[in-house]
Amino acid sequence: MKLEPAALAPAPGTEPLLGPVTAAAEAAGVRAGMRLGEALATCPELVLVQPDPTAVEREWEGVLRRLEDAGLAVESVEPGVVVFETKGVERLYGGVAAALQRALAAVGPAWDPRAGAAGRRFSALAAASVARPGQILIVEGKDERSFLAPLPLSLLPLPDDRYAELEGLGVRKLGELAALPGGAVAERLGPEGRRAWRLARGGERRRVRGRTPPAELVEALSFPEAVGNELTLRRAFGALLDRLLARPERGGRPFRKVAVAAKLVGGGSWRRTVTLREATAERARLRAALGPKLAEIPAPVVELRLEVLQLAEHTGTQLALVEPAGVELGNRLREGLRQVKASTGSGSVCAVVEVAPWSRIPEARALVVPRDD
Amino acid sequence: MVAHSRSAGSGRAAGRLNAPRPALVEARFDGTPRLVNRQAVGVVREEWRVVDRWWTEEPIDRRYFEVVLESGVNVCVYRDAQAGCWYSQRA
Repeated sequence: MKLEPAALAPAPGTEPLLGPVTAAAEAAGVRAGMRLGEALATCPELVLVQPDPTAVEREWEGVLRRLEDAGLAVESVEPGVVVFETKGVERLYGGVAAALQRALAAVGPAWDPRAGAAGRRFSALAAASVARPGQILIVEGKDERSFLAPLPLSLLPLPDDRYAELEGLGVRKLGELAALPGGAVAERLGPEGRRAWRLARGGERRRVRGRTPPAELVEALSFPEAVGNELTLRRAFGALLDRLLARPERGGRPFRKVAVAAKLVGGGSWRRTVTLREATAERARLRAALGPKLAEIPAPVVELRLEVLQLAEHTGTQLALVEPAGVELGNRLREGLRQVKASTGSGSVCAVVEVAPWSRIPEARALVVPRDD
Repeated sequence: MVAHSRSAGSGRAAGRLNAPRPALVEARFDGTPRLVNRQAVGVVREEWRVVDRWWTEEPIDRRYFEVVLESGVNVCVYRDAQAGCWYSQRA
């Protein structure tokens, strides 16, 4: 793929602008952010790669885990950008450069990783942005301002119109922005301008907060054919939720952060992460929190996944003095199913899930879903 | 921390319920079944057509018959116009 002219296709329902492009595409005149029609006219053999956020998330999670295995407490900024402190491992590896070398090796050469080190987060990110693949750029504290000064404004997190405004005022480099009076910048460009000005001067010193590794309980359901209607997806989602709640690894702990992901029919995927305000393991509340996300899926689905990314600590809940009607019957049914499963093995207990009861095609009305709870 | 669970087996496939099964059917000149699985048809109770998914690469064109065999058994069969084969299915 690296040798082919390829580009990331625009996500469905968004403006038809290309994402990142390969070097071969760039050589053929295609640029990231170009209009799709213009790019195809420029390079008719351009291969469009569908966005696959689930795969990105999975690959990125692998990178973070490898960095954690190297002893680094990482804070992920976005897929492709991670910050960490080397202080804790410098003695282990023999200095900052050696620790960063170890980090680059952990990421792997396929990612073309680059590392930047500085006393402040923005300076380190800027150093990594201008480094070549595989290069380590270390900026000493006293050199930070002079290092940032000649760098372009595009390193700052500003809206496009703000760049144009600054360029119109003759400000093109970070050093030129940093040299302006802070009050004047804030007056002209508002709070975001003020923030950009602070960053151009190196930004504030902020500690890196290493993440808690995700729990990763995953359940997936693949469909015999692509499913587009929301009711079917909701039913499949209900079956996945039941399976997740029944997983023994959960150990009775409620869910804190959950992700719903789908593999789409034309290639590509869709993913939404939900952090629950109150950790819960109640089916109805989880359905209410996650169910509406299914309506956002942009295309028919061939596989639906439900992932638990974070479990909360076990919290005791008050038991009911008199259990609601039907609970005892439900418990007996579950016990009966457990016995059937114990005697016949895994996969022997299935649930019939109605997915399209109105369908004129009899075999499309319901699915048989294995249940091991 | 919970053990890594992204292993084979966490994604199990759902199966179809009421999938059609091939049937041995002998038809009359007008296409109605005369014999189903070597048993004579007593009466054809109902007949209907299902034409669907014509916009996909797997269009559906079926002619269903609900019949009562001479043995008294109620059977539902259809002829798939695409494959030219007969199937039995609970409709």
